[in-house]
Amino acid sequence: MDIQARAYLPRIAGLALAGASFLGVTAAQAKEITIWCWDPNFNVAIMKEAGARYTKTHPDVTFNIVDFAKLDVEQKLQTGLSSGTADALPDIVLIEDYGAQKYLQSFPGAFAPLSGTVDYSGFAPYKVELMTLDGQVYGMPFDSGVTGLYYRKDYLEAAGFKPEDMQDLTWDRFIEIGKQVEEKTGKKMMGLDPNDAGLVRIIMQSAGQWYFDKEGKPNIANNAALKAALETIGKIMQANIYKPANGWSDWVGTFTSGDVATVVTGVWITGTVKAQPDQSGNWGVAPIPALSIDGATHASNLGGSSWYVLESSEEKAEAIDFLNEIYAKDIDFYQKILQDRGAVGSLLAARGGAAYEAADPFFGGEKVWQNFSDWLAKVPSVNYGIFTNEADLAVTAQLPAVTQGTPVDEVLQAIEAEVSAQIQ
Amino acid sequence: MNGFRRFAAMAATYGFLGLMAFLSVFPFIWMVLGATNSSIDIIKGKLLPGAAFATNVGNFFTLVNVPLVFWNSAKIAILATVLTLAVSSLAGYGFEMFRSRRRERVYRAMLLTLMIPFAALMIPLFIMMGKAGLINTHLAVVLPSIGSAFVIFYFRQSTKAFPSELRDAAKVDGLKEWQIFLFIYVPVMRSTYAAAFVIVFMTAWNNYLWPLIVLQTNETKTITLVVSSLASAYYPDYGVVMVGTILATLPTLAVFFFMQRQFVQGMLGSVK
Repeated sequence: MDIQARAYLPRIAGLALAGASFLGVTAAQAKEITIWCWDPNFNVAIMKEAGARYTKTHPDVTFNIVDFAKLDVEQKLQTGLSSGTADALPDIVLIEDYGAQKYLQSFPGAFAPLSGTVDYSGFAPYKVELMTLDGQVYGMPFDSGVTGLYYRKDYLEAAGFKPEDMQDLTWDRFIEIGKQVEEKTGKKMMGLDPNDAGLVRIIMQSAGQWYFDKEGKPNIANNAALKAALETIGKIMQANIYKPANGWSDWVGTFTSGDVATVVTGVWITGTVKAQPDQSGNWGVAPIPALSIDGATHASNLGGSSWYVLESSEEKAEAIDFLNEIYAKDIDFYQKILQDRGAVGSLLAARGGAAYEAADPFFGGEKVWQNFSDWLAKVPSVNYGIFTNEADLAVTAQLPAVTQGTPVDEVLQAIEAEVSAQIQ
Repeated sequence: MNGFRRFAAMAATYGFLGLMAFLSVFPFIWMVLGATNSSIDIIKGKLLPGAAFATNVGNFFTLVNVPLVFWNSAKIAILATVLTLAVSSLAGYGFEMFRSRRRERVYRAMLLTLMIPFAALMIPLFIMMGKAGLINTHLAVVLPSIGSAFVIFYFRQSTKAFPSELRDAAKVDGLKEWQIFLFIYVPVMRSTYAAAFVIVFMTAWNNYLWPLIVLQTNETKTITLVVSSLASAYYPDYGVVMVGTILATLPTLAVFFFMQRQFVQGMLGSVK
């Protein structure tokens, strides 16, 4: 008995110890959240900041942020989802807003719905709408492309216009002002790349329409906003108040070089505008011009992206909690990423922070970030659908016809035919 | 008159060659000049050397873990090259040396695989690697490339020039087949190997799509993936991208210049 006990005791003790240490290891085991995104100076850097903040309060969670090119993230995500190889996917992935519905609808069940956890009422409604499918909201709204009309105060003043004259314009008035600016200063009103449908998208969404209706059906031939957008671009071209640009860099060059008086685009251009210190104090920002049709507003959006949690993720719970704690609640975080990276998030409450309230001397002391935040809440919600990129290509292909004065109704028919052919 | 005609013909030839040389070399010159300029100057189309070279190099080295990335690329390229040459030259040798009724049929089927675009093979291949537990390993990048139909084809074509008398003589002397391959065939086909080495090394070094799909972390990424990621930022720093592109090009340039003579020989037919 004694001998037996002596023989067994160490074994039992050993087992107990092994068990205890095993449990101990499990409890303290670090969870690593893997994230895919694409710009080292923008969303990668911002995610690192977010991760550092979360690790401070949750030391057991660490982050592995992997950056690939944007197209490469899409390619990898597509391959991983199509092959059904779950361990080949990250825990969180960044998806461009225009493509969100494509992934949500093509891979049902692949992404974790966050409706129960995240309080979406605090975000810009259009951002929530684009990630909603069948009543469930997927994803965490991230950067916004809320639009503004950046204008050169000095050029406009020389043409006889004060900042008050630039507020809440219509596009017709904008063109009118453009003619006078060129007459008085010799400067063109704006840079325009005839192969980029960005301006069409901005104007169309400002009136609450898109290439697709709420059900995802093509909405082109009878789309009043798209029609008005194309007409507007036709008028700008006829009035010849634009400096033609060939490609993105060239377009950026039209305003960094001081050749044009205004820029209509997403808020993310602010950093580029401010990169010319010699132009400090000469710029102002106003709401974009509105169309003269039903539902027209002065708010719109260009670009933007959001974070999505993979349903198959082993760290799903941690990933969701992380996004919720930082992106849905941490106002200070939004001040930091605005200051450091010029990122305008989609959380409306962020506007109350110090960085948003600051007056910017570059813009003559205007509170530009607060203004953008106001417009952010007003961006009309539309359904980006599955085929935005295809529709965009069709529009780009038809833009030259608009320039040559082809009736806009005919152009719309051609676009609709092309889109229908592509998506079948 | 005759002299003038000859002169005109020469002038036309040199003019044409000069133009073609300029077209091939210009992107390189532009890349090198770009590396010395700031991003804004590059966008403006500046074609003169600038003063930003040190800054660009510095930025590249802070953004990228250069030794690790180069080690990854080199490991994949060398491993892939050595294995591809070993496996595919054996196959090419086998296809030419051993006669059988089904040989040509198998060979043609193999050549047909050259017609299948890689994008079509990608997902099945990815599933295979997933099941083998090889996702995010360098082995997964190397393995699919080593049985290369093109290199097998190249070796078989070159083997046609390998004198069968040599093989017969070796057999008479009592060498086994593997000895013939190793001690007779390989030395004789030196320049074929050299040419294949250049081709396979360059392909492996520049390979983009498959490593992109199968590599998952910053620690395993190759130089091509890193440069692509830098170039796709919303506001890419083109100066840094140019530095990365130059560094990524250097090894293939070095391999090519180092083996240029053998490469040309190999292309012309290696057996003298």
